Amino acid sequence: MISRITSFFGPTYPKTLAYMLQSTEYQVKPYLAWYWRTNNFNDVSHRRSLDKTRRARLLVAGLRIGIALQIIVGIIVLIQGIQKNQVSDIYFGIAILLSYPVIWAHLIVIPLLVARFFIVLPKDRRAVKVSRRIFEEHGAIKIAVAGSYGKTTMKELLLTILGEGKKVAATPANKNVAISHAHFAKKLRGDEEVIIIEYGEGAPGDVARFAKNTKPTIGIITGLAPAHLDRYKTLDSAAKDILSLADFLNEKNIYINNESDPLKKYKKSSYTPYDQNSVLGWKISDIHVRIDGMSFAMEKNGQKLSLQSGLIGRHLIGSLALCVALAKEIGCTDRDIIVGVAKTIPFEHRMQPREMAGGYIIDDTYNGNLEGVRVGLQLLSELDSRRKIYVTPGLVDQGKESMHVHQEMGRLIAKANPTKVVLMKNSVTHWICDGLASGGYKGELVIEKKPLDFYTNINQIIAAGDIMMLQNDWTDNYK
Amino acid sequence: MKTIAVIFGGRSTEHDVSIVTALASIIKPLEVLGGYNIEPVYIAKNGAWYWDKKLKNIATFQSGEIEDFMRKAPKVQLSIDDGLTLIKSSQFAGRKQYKKIDIVFPAMHGTHGEDGELMGLLEMANVPYIGCGVAASAIAMDKVLAKQVTTSAGIASTPWVWFNAVDLERDLKGTLAKIATLQYPLFVKPAHLGSSIGITKVNSKDQLLNALEVANHYDNRVIVEQAVNNLIEVTLPVLGNDDPVPAMLEEPLLKSEDFFDFETKYMQGGKKGGKKGGSSKHGSQGYSRIPADLPKDLYNSAVETGLAVYRATGCAGIARIDMLIDSKTKKVMFNEINPMPGGLYSHNWNKAGMSNVDLVEKLILLAEERWQKSQKITTAFSTSYLKQF
Repeated sequence: MISRITSFFGPTYPKTLAYMLQSTEYQVKPYLAWYWRTNNFNDVSHRRSLDKTRRARLLVAGLRIGIALQIIVGIIVLIQGIQKNQVSDIYFGIAILLSYPVIWAHLIVIPLLVARFFIVLPKDRRAVKVSRRIFEEHGAIKIAVAGSYGKTTMKELLLTILGEGKKVAATPANKNVAISHAHFAKKLRGDEEVIIIEYGEGAPGDVARFAKNTKPTIGIITGLAPAHLDRYKTLDSAAKDILSLADFLNEKNIYINNESDPLKKYKKSSYTPYDQNSVLGWKISDIHVRIDGMSFAMEKNGQKLSLQSGLIGRHLIGSLALCVALAKEIGCTDRDIIVGVAKTIPFEHRMQPREMAGGYIIDDTYNGNLEGVRVGLQLLSELDSRRKIYVTPGLVDQGKESMHVHQEMGRLIAKANPTKVVLMKNSVTHWICDGLASGGYKGELVIEKKPLDFYTNINQIIAAGDIMMLQNDWTDNYK
Repeated sequence: MKTIAVIFGGRSTEHDVSIVTALASIIKPLEVLGGYNIEPVYIAKNGAWYWDKKLKNIATFQSGEIEDFMRKAPKVQLSIDDGLTLIKSSQFAGRKQYKKIDIVFPAMHGTHGEDGELMGLLEMANVPYIGCGVAASAIAMDKVLAKQVTTSAGIASTPWVWFNAVDLERDLKGTLAKIATLQYPLFVKPAHLGSSIGITKVNSKDQLLNALEVANHYDNRVIVEQAVNNLIEVTLPVLGNDDPVPAMLEEPLLKSEDFFDFETKYMQGGKKGGKKGGSSKHGSQGYSRIPADLPKDLYNSAVETGLAVYRATGCAGIARIDMLIDSKTKKVMFNEINPMPGGLYSHNWNKAGMSNVDLVEKLILLAEERWQKSQKITTAFSTSYLKQF
């Protein structure tokens, strides 16, 4: 209680508020939710610190000026009250002085709300309207990539493999919402042969809206898993939103990941499945997975392609194969395809192996769903090593399913049976532990209370022959 | 929770290396390991002892803040009554702070710390400590004594002679005559220093006197060794008490005219030597190849020699054995022992599959195991001797 009160008046309080706003991407609701559940404002940033952007610096300066003004006013009122012997003024002065942390924590969101409703949203609406016309008039093959996971990976694979022989443009990084699509449209030159658009769904109706704006000609659905359930509430609701892409395309030219179990019940005969066994008549064989890459072969009508990729994880074979098959469909040469596949390398924080102190870490911290956990553990099981260490904080945004998801996660970890499991202590840890216990896990279990210390000292823990899989990220705005 | 004191610094030319070993290679992994209360104990260059949590921070030493700290901080006193206790004035009304130490992790390099002096104090206090004991440390840190012990155990060395500083003053001619029995090039070394400090490679007679002067500047005992032809220099970190286990045989990569001096080890990131290809990497102490690129038989022979040296000199806990190989004759020769390798040679242990955390944890277990064994040794028995008087 004392530490909570004193933390309100600490010199770093304005910076902490700016950090909280920045970490919630300046969204008022999650910021306020975080603010009201915080007990100690000296103990907020565990994962990173304030990125001193222009906006962040302005916020900190604004808060400091506002707080300083309120303190001055409070002191003036207090002094006047004392001089005039007015008890009410004295109390009022004290109230002004004591209330500044709470008042400015809320006042600071007003400019954000005003700017959002009167400047940002109208501007965004105009940009999206313009982009609708650009997409409609563009003659390229437009591939939309949707799903609960694997979207960015699929987009990057398409860009790398198709881009070897065709003019291809794709939405940048994980910019995958309507306004990002609009900005992307503005940068199109008009001579692209293939356009790839990633759909970052987060709430019911998102995918249908994105499809209406971007007018895709091909749809790829990468998988279904519990994600953003705080908004979708149920997996079924998320599935309906993602599959609205198929509705837009009249159920034609829809490619669907056949290895995503939850998707299977929504599969229709008109959809084209892809997996690590086959796609579009191509048979896949000779799969070899190593810590530094994979090899596989594809065969159709007597034609055989032997392919090497820098990616790791058997679950990516299906995606690579789909890209190869689509590349053939749109007329890429075998040479371009082989070179393109060879150029595929792990993306940052996604199944990205890195040598450290003689051992390897596999950074999959951008994964945020149960399916990703499943394939990550599958990879960890498949690789040879002296000691296998699995590290996770759990999954965020699992809504009402959180308990079941994390218990299942614990069981999956137990099944993979790593030598050591490190869990970052938070509100879901006990559910993962329950799953580990019910799965009969007998290895070493460590509950880490200081995640940042752990992540920054991995080089002290790892040695030659070790593989450490790091999955999921748990930012400070989640408890 | 057990309290572990990490002692570093000291009256030694390797004072700064000791700080880095303590903070980066011992305290950091101990913090990550958890389960211990870590007390950093710093011995200044003038021999004064300080104990403060602030001393865990490398910036204290890099920024020069340590000078200010030493002006203000109380010096530490030691009590060795029933274990080791650190005592310092709390600066309030003459009160004193006491900290009972359960285990000591000496991170000392060179004189007055790695050479057995500190270990003697810890033996008197009867506290478990990491690393070699008094005798092994003293032998290891005296290159002459180490050669004598290993030679008597049948372990080969390159031809060598030794003398005291006083011999140079009183009988220069006789000393030079002793050296003349060796073939050039020679290495002139102070007998007690580590980290290659004060070592000179002498290619001809006219360089000899200068080299002897340099070595005498650092030490009162000097050893002169004949250089090995077709040299491959290797080093082997070893861990254990009665059943020592080797890490990987490591090959510092040097040009033929170079040797692994202080500059190469610590100051240039090992850039002095040339890369010969293969999977060579920067170690914490320079540019080296792990494992050494040797034929299997020669590799195994060097590992066996290293382990034989470790046993013959009575090492315990951890040490690093340096050896010289004549690549033509395939002869492996003992060169030196380092009873507290800089940075614990953790880069090599990492390659051997032991993480930094595992390494410090294992060293603590070995220290406790050795201490428990020592408690079973009878050190007193009743006699009627005094009644005779």
